[in-house]
Amino acid sequence: MNAVALVKQVPDRNSAFRPAGDWIDESSLGYGINDYDRYAVEAALGLKEAGHAAETVAVTAGPADAGQVLRSCLAMGADRGVHLITDRAHLADPFFVARALANAVSGLDAGVVFAGLLAEDSGHGQVGGLVAGLLGYSFASAATGLHFRDGRLEAHRELEGGRIAVVELRLPAVVAVQTGINTPRYASLRGIMASRRKPVERIELAAPADGGGLRRLTLGRPERGASAEILPGSPQEAAAALVSRMRAGAGISFPGDAA
Amino acid sequence: MSRRVLILAERSESGITDASYELIEAASRLAGGPDGVSAVLPVGDASEAEGLREVLPAGELLLVEGPAHASPTADGTAAAVLHAREASGAECVLLPHDPVGWDVAPLVAARLGTAAATAVSALSWREDGIAAKRSAFLGKFVQEVEAPGLPAVATVERGAFPAREPGPALSVRILPSPVGPGDLRSRLVEVRDAGAGGVDLTAADVVVAAGRGLGGPENLDIVRELANALGGVVGASRAVTDAGWLPHELQIGSSGATVSPKLYVACAISGAIQHLVGMRGSRFVVAINKDPDAPIFGAADVGIVGDALEVIPALTEAVRNSG
Ligand SMILES: Cc1cc2nc3c(=O)[nH]c(=O)nc-3n(C[C@H](O)[C@H](O)[C@H](O)COP(=O)(O)OP(=O)(O)OC[C@H]3O[C@@H](n4cnc5c(N)ncnc54)[C@H](O)[C@@H]3O)c2cc1C
Repeated sequence: MNAVALVKQVPDRNSAFRPAGDWIDESSLGYGINDYDRYAVEAALGLKEAGHAAETVAVTAGPADAGQVLRSCLAMGADRGVHLITDRAHLADPFFVARALANAVSGLDAGVVFAGLLAEDSGHGQVGGLVAGLLGYSFASAATGLHFRDGRLEAHRELEGGRIAVVELRLPAVVAVQTGINTPRYASLRGIMASRRKPVERIELAAPADGGGLRRLTLGRPERGASAEILPGSPQEAAAALVSRMRAGAGISFPGDAA
Repeated sequence: MSRRVLILAERSESGITDASYELIEAASRLAGGPDGVSAVLPVGDASEAEGLREVLPAGELLLVEGPAHASPTADGTAAAVLHAREASGAECVLLPHDPVGWDVAPLVAARLGTAAATAVSALSWREDGIAAKRSAFLGKFVQEVEAPGLPAVATVERGAFPAREPGPALSVRILPSPVGPGDLRSRLVEVRDAGAGGVDLTAADVVVAAGRGLGGPENLDIVRELANALGGVVGASRAVTDAGWLPHELQIGSSGATVSPKLYVACAISGAIQHLVGMRGSRFVVAINKDPDAPIFGAADVGIVGDALEVIPALTEAVRNSG
């Protein structure tokens, strides 16, 4: 049985995003692995290291250059990758993506499939669950802890109000992980060298059929009711103006204030 | 014309959750009135729901009953929702955008051959399907999506709709569950407190919160110095505590502490909704961020657009010199 990680290539979060058409202007963006998915990869590697998985496989759906994120998974230690090649625009529909991923996963002898809870760009937060639903696997979202006992997986799910639900899952299972569930390792130089020799299977996806799950219509900046007053000037000027605003607005004095 | 919309009602120790009343409001707007709303409640035994009929202001309350629902699971609840969807003929299923919805919505959607519109704040019908307003890029942008084909599935953001006043359901139906405990692939072992930390952020008058935009733990000293100058304590976004720059007890937000100090200074924090819910009660909010589009500015009274590594020391200096 193998441990699988589903990963997505997303625009670098420090990019300057501008809405354009029904999405953002993608002409000058850097890309990298979705932050949540680094935790998914680490969870898969951990499962193998604990002796519960034979191999770790990273799977992505995305354009040709999304092979980059598979390479980073291989450099972290994953054994092989599967790249489902499709236009970036087709990633708009989580159902299309999930169906393609489910197809690929069904041939991987997966015991546990890890996904990130959500992608930082689209934020649909459901691809892992859709894969579980399509394959009839067990599912737990928002996992912040994992324990393996007697062929059963115990996932700790983060609820609201500081509570944790402990759920037991039959295998195979899909677990959508929350950030902080582990500490994702960085690729070592050796890992990077070794990753070059690791296999990546490339599969061209057919274009999505009509219908499907979701279509993008528009993207824009949210209307903000009362937005902050922005203080102009150099950092020093703005800071000086801010101090009196803070004192008045918060109604407090600061330790250095004259008594 | 009235149409039917199904919502998942949730119980807590104190009755029906606020999120459920918000869902009923959302559903009732979409259905053209509360009569078009069906509410499903999975129960181990229908007697558990006694009294709930009086406080669920929907057209019908569907109790999906069976031992499989004695405690909630993702697949058990999904099966109950699908069963009630069929029984009610609802064209749209609304679930909360919370840990229950994240578990259940994709399983329901997958069975219906579609994806869910998630984190939704407005909903409307399209010719054959629904359109929804949702948040994308961690709250930076608002997106409109269309889910072609019915039935459709959506998860509704907390607070997007006002909670509907409690009132009686017009009718109640008990539906025997289509699943038994042996059919379920997951089991709830227990629910427990995660265990809170020792630092009391909630008592502080001033909180200076550190965000990922500070770049690394080596830059946190300027935040500590500002907190000192203001007579406050240091808090953090989840990105900062998950990265191990600061301990988890200092995390502010939906999965951390809720604070309401007199002064809150957000340093290089983007202002994701999960962070905002933890600091919204603050009296005066200052945001320092290099991105003028950062959602934190929508939650702040005053902001400085600039590099936090320059602005924070300048602010510390200005505070010290102002006394
Ligand atoms: C179920 C769930 C629960 C969550 N619970 C919480 C929670 O309790 N608390 C919480 O905080 N988050 C929580 N999150 C995570 C949340 O969605 C965000 O990912 C997180 O708040 C981001 O932290 P951040 O703002 O520090 O980082 P980012 O979102 O990465 O923002 C960094 C900001 O810094 C700015 N910046 C970068 N460099 C500079 C610079 N030099 N000077 C000035 N500004 C700069 C950028 O413009 C950006 O706005 C939760 C998420 C989920 C899904």
